[in-house]
Amino acid sequence: MTKGRIILIIGIIILIGGLVIGIDLLRRRAQESSIPPGSVPIYVDGKLVAAFTPDDLEQLEKVSFVDAEEGKTQEGWMLRDVLLLHIAKADLSSETRITVSSSSRDKSVQVTWAEVRDADNMVMFDLANKGTLKLVSKLERLDVRDEWVQDVDKIEVNAP
Amino acid sequence: MKKDRYFSTFQIILLALFAALVVVAKIALRLPLQLSGHSGIFWMAIVITAAGVVPKPGAASLVGVTSGLIAAFLGLGDFGMLNTFLSYTAVGLGTDLALLLLCDRENLLVTTLAAVLGHLGKFLVKWGLGTLTGAPVGFIALGLAKAFAGYVVFGALGGLLGGLTLKALRKAGFFAYLAEKR
Repeated sequence: MTKGRIILIIGIIILIGGLVIGIDLLRRRAQESSIPPGSVPIYVDGKLVAAFTPDDLEQLEKVSFVDAEEGKTQEGWMLRDVLLLHIAKADLSSETRITVSSSSRDKSVQVTWAEVRDADNMVMFDLANKGTLKLVSKLERLDVRDEWVQDVDKIEVNAP
Repeated sequence: MKKDRYFSTFQIILLALFAALVVVAKIALRLPLQLSGHSGIFWMAIVITAAGVVPKPGAASLVGVTSGLIAAFLGLGDFGMLNTFLSYTAVGLGTDLALLLLCDRENLLVTTLAAVLGHLGKFLVKWGLGTLTGAPVGFIALGLAKAFAGYVVFGALGGLLGGLTLKALRKAGFFAYLAEKR
């Protein structure tokens, strides 16, 4: 009897996994023509040029710094490197404005390419524990939790 | 005529303490793992221990609802009060459902499976609300299969830890002490 119930529970667990992954797969197929779910789109002057996924980030070099506010290590990938994966360096000038935003948090921050390019500013994405990207930096206007942009879901690049 | 209550006052106090412990564990115990569901190790261990200490259907759900209320009002979680409350509640409901089917609350296999199912309740809430609202749920970015596996593994580890805790408590005579208190 107990053995049968244990098998039933294992069956329920497998069923949940199958249903969730199956439904997600169907959703992904339906959205294949648009931006893949979970990816962050990059718009240049209003035009969608790319959407990066965790796969894109894995090929980048990881960086880290200890934030001044909480003394925690912020580890992830430089925004500079993420952008250069999809945008030619020649298309970016020092004054190019880059807006990183989160629709769920209703937050955004604007930085210039000059600030992003400077490695000392550490304008980077930290991979939060829950798996979303958080924009952090050593820049004065982006160096504490309240100023960070959590759950980033859009990047816009605009020429000056 | 005095009406018998389902949970005694002592049991409710115990379950409330476990609920508070769930929230404290969520805040204080952090593992430096970039994996979805890793907090389930502590979370599920506490819920399973609570369901073993108060071996009645509904005990885990009560811990889930209470910890969900505390966590929601403390502003825990990144997707709002409703998401937080439902996630914590789903953990309790899932655990109770499994324990209702499996009965023996101190068997390590049972505690492990119950914790996995309870933890998957949280996974389902996060995934479901993420899908409905379009919020950037972390495990969608990381890969759903990987996140699902993470929830199963960490839930199982938590259940195992909870089961071992129950065994240790029995060995230490805690249940005999509780029987006297009841």
